[in-house]
Amino acid sequence: MVDTPPTAETLARLEAQVAEAQQRLNLTLDAAGATGKWHWDIPGKLLRGDASFATLTGEDTLALAAGLPTSSFFRGIHPDDQKRIRLAVAAMLSGAELFEKDFRLRRPDGGLRWVHAKGRTLFDENDQPMRFVGHLVDITEQKRVQEQLRVAQTAGGIGTFEHAEGYGTVQVSPQFCSLLGLHPTRILPIATINRLIHPDDPPIIAVTTTEPEAVGRPVEFRITRADTAEPRWLARRGEYVRDLSGPGMRYIGVAYDITASKLTEERLRRANEGLSERVRERTQDLNRVWQNSRDLLVVLDLAGRIRAANPAWHEALGYDPIQMEGRTLAELIADGEATALPDLAAGTKRFEIPLRHADGSLRTISWTTSREASSVYAYGRDITIEREQAAALQEAEARLRQSQKMEAVGQLTGGIAHDFNNMLTGIMGAVDIVKRRIKAGRLDDIDRFMDAATVSAQRAASLTHRLLAFSRRQSLERRQVEITELVLGMTELLDRTLGEQVTLEVDLAGAWPIVTDSNQLENAILNLAINARDAMPDGGKLRIAARNVTLKPGQVAGLTLERPKDFVAIDVADTGHGMPLDVLDKAFDPFFTTKPIGQGTGLGLSMVYGFAQQSGGAVEIHSSVGEGTTIAIYLPRGHDSDQHAASVAAGDVPRGAGERVLVVEDDESVRLLVVEVLRDLGYSPLEATEADSAIEHLRRNPELDLLISDVGLPGMNGRQLAEVAREVIPDLKVLFMTGYAAGAANRDEFLGEGMDMITKPFDLERLGTKIKQMLGGVD
Amino acid sequence: MIEDISLDELERDALTEVVNIGVSRAAAGLRKMVGQQVLLSVPALEIVTYPAAAALIGQRESEELVAVRQDFEGAFSGRAMLIFPETKSMELVRAVVGDDVAAEDLPDMEVEALAETGNVILNNCLGTMANMLQQSLRLSLPVVVRGSGGQLFADPSATPIEGGLVLFLYIDFTIREHNIRGYIAMLMDLPSLATLKLLIADFIARVTADID
Repeated sequence: MVDTPPTAETLARLEAQVAEAQQRLNLTLDAAGATGKWHWDIPGKLLRGDASFATLTGEDTLALAAGLPTSSFFRGIHPDDQKRIRLAVAAMLSGAELFEKDFRLRRPDGGLRWVHAKGRTLFDENDQPMRFVGHLVDITEQKRVQEQLRVAQTAGGIGTFEHAEGYGTVQVSPQFCSLLGLHPTRILPIATINRLIHPDDPPIIAVTTTEPEAVGRPVEFRITRADTAEPRWLARRGEYVRDLSGPGMRYIGVAYDITASKLTEERLRRANEGLSERVRERTQDLNRVWQNSRDLLVVLDLAGRIRAANPAWHEALGYDPIQMEGRTLAELIADGEATALPDLAAGTKRFEIPLRHADGSLRTISWTTSREASSVYAYGRDITIEREQAAALQEAEARLRQSQKMEAVGQLTGGIAHDFNNMLTGIMGAVDIVKRRIKAGRLDDIDRFMDAATVSAQRAASLTHRLLAFSRRQSLERRQVEITELVLGMTELLDRTLGEQVTLEVDLAGAWPIVTDSNQLENAILNLAINARDAMPDGGKLRIAARNVTLKPGQVAGLTLERPKDFVAIDVADTGHGMPLDVLDKAFDPFFTTKPIGQGTGLGLSMVYGFAQQSGGAVEIHSSVGEGTTIAIYLPRGHDSDQHAASVAAGDVPRGAGERVLVVEDDESVRLLVVEVLRDLGYSPLEATEADSAIEHLRRNPELDLLISDVGLPGMNGRQLAEVAREVIPDLKVLFMTGYAAGAANRDEFLGEGMDMITKPFDLERLGTKIKQMLGGVD
Repeated sequence: MIEDISLDELERDALTEVVNIGVSRAAAGLRKMVGQQVLLSVPALEIVTYPAAAALIGQRESEELVAVRQDFEGAFSGRAMLIFPETKSMELVRAVVGDDVAAEDLPDMEVEALAETGNVILNNCLGTMANMLQQSLRLSLPVVVRGSGGQLFADPSATPIEGGLVLFLYIDFTIREHNIRGYIAMLMDLPSLATLKLLIADFIARVTADID
């Protein structure tokens, strides 16, 4: 084949390929930030460069490798940078050694690129500059970053500085200088900067140490501005990097003004200090309370563990407050009282618990606790002494009451003994005279003395009856009573009792019948009449009146009613000296008397009170000094239809017809008397001293008509004996005799069908009548 | 009037380049003296009043200063001072004379060594400037003076030119691993500065003439 000359077509293709390669190289350079080297032959006035340099400057690669006129160096440079670079190059050609400039080069595509050029002059032996060599680096990207950095620094007021190890100067930014109030410059001696820094603060560059600072840690320092001498706060931070142009390290740092935030910080600190001071003072106040309090103060957690205890713990309980921390209140609680500690977490509590003193004794502490969040605040007061005093007071009061009671008993005993001695004198004296008259055979006048003995004995019986009524161990025989009849029946007695100086006035017209024990009522009226008489030593008027009233609940003190109920009020009113308030208060107290010892038992009003209460009624007393006294006895109304009352003609004792009666009585004289009377009356009595022998009689004599038994027997009592007797003889009548019966106060509950009761002492008439009633002889 | 003699950015660049040529020459001279690598560079330049110059140097240096002073005369006249902090001057002397000299002999040699070193640097700087600006200058013999920044710039004998300005240059030395900072101050009256400005403009025009 023969070579053919290249056609225009081929040439165009090759040129396109070259352009494409050139374009690719450009892009590669852009991407690589390549370094282009130059070699300037000063005497030969020839510029050579490598491919990179050619591409950066836009020269033909081959032509530049071969050598181009030196003016080519400036051809691609941006017009604004032309003069500056020409000046610097001229200096190099004239003998300057170092060249280092940034400038802009035009790109083939019309754009610009920033390059950094660094070069030096090589001299011949005569110090004549021979070659100017160096290299170009594309720093377009770097410039952009630098510009961003500059804007950032200016806007942020951030100054930069850079120090190469060993140098006495620091490269600084203008912003850095203005922070310090220095003339803007790029180089400052370290000493100059450090001189502006407060001597107590770290220097900008620690020239004496090469120890690397902790990266990124800001260092704060005070300066005095060089221009205005104004004090400012600055902060700097930076780091050591390896110096690329030398063997050592390079410190690159930034500095910025923090005066404003420091001032704010200082203000805050002062405000805080002020606050802390106030808090401290307040805490001191509270602390004083805590320290000086005599009450136990303690802070607990919710589990009851002590977080803090005050010094009072030592004084009150003997524990070191420090050692109390971590312990619980429960640990101190006296044995067996652990359950007494309430749930402290449940809000405010007040309670008392006995705690163990360090010396082992017990202390009663009154606590008030309150809970806030997870703390319980407890305040304890030692009330041991108060409690002891209260207990001692109670005991003293009890002792006083006991001694008062004993005194009262003494008074009573004295009164009763006096009365009894009088009565016994009457009985014994009369019996003695009777015995002597019988001996002497003078029987004509004997009845008078027998009557006197009987009267004395009846008075004694009446006294014991009253005593028992007072103790409420006297069974009441309640039945329908016509008050009018009762009082009219008493008038003779009353007239005699009152004497001639006191007028008796009775007004009982229209009174309802009442239900009560007529004997007791008579006694009550008599008692009141005697009191009235004694209240009117100079004479006066006694008025006994009956009123029909319907009482509402609460109308009369001491009377418990569920609904309104009918009562008959029996007023016993005198015109005497009346009672002062202090006497009135105690009028119903047992054994209270205004009379001298021996003249009264003090049982009068209290007996009346007990009787009224037992009857389901009440007593009211109205009295004032000089106005006389009115006592009202309220007794429940009876039924009009049930008007009939059993009454037996006196002196006419009904007789039996040989009925078999078993008498069980452990008192021999009483048994003897009763058996004798029964025989006299025509009954056939059997006798036993206690239940066992009585039961034997019952078994052997199933035809028995009546069992008369004492209630208080040794062993099995009368009531129990009656039960057994009824098993043997089912319809056996039973009559109980009783002096007093603890279990028989309410006879309706005590007595069963076919049973009755007679109270000791009794006369033969009453006994005979009672037996006849029971055996159906008398209705 | 100040506006007349103030330099624009390009003029300042140009003057810095001229001084750079000068210190490069000086470094070459010192290399020959010391027999070791010496690097000298002028990173910055300012034109300030005397009091500002005194304040500048006072701001930057706390210790006593030592200066090598030479007067110059020609198209522009004035006084040049190569200024070091006192300790740095001793370091410079030690760097220049080498380690062979005993420490006790060093103070005796200080003034002489400083004067010589200052002469090399200032001569080269000013000479180069004159050369580059196509002028000639005559220099007096070097004198070593001491004092604070204020004293150096305020002393009437040290400041012969009333109302003048200071061309203030920072220089970094690297000799035998010593890094020594110093300053070159050129105290000139306004006419001299105006002349310098014109000469610099000429220089700029000359070296950039072939751009177009």
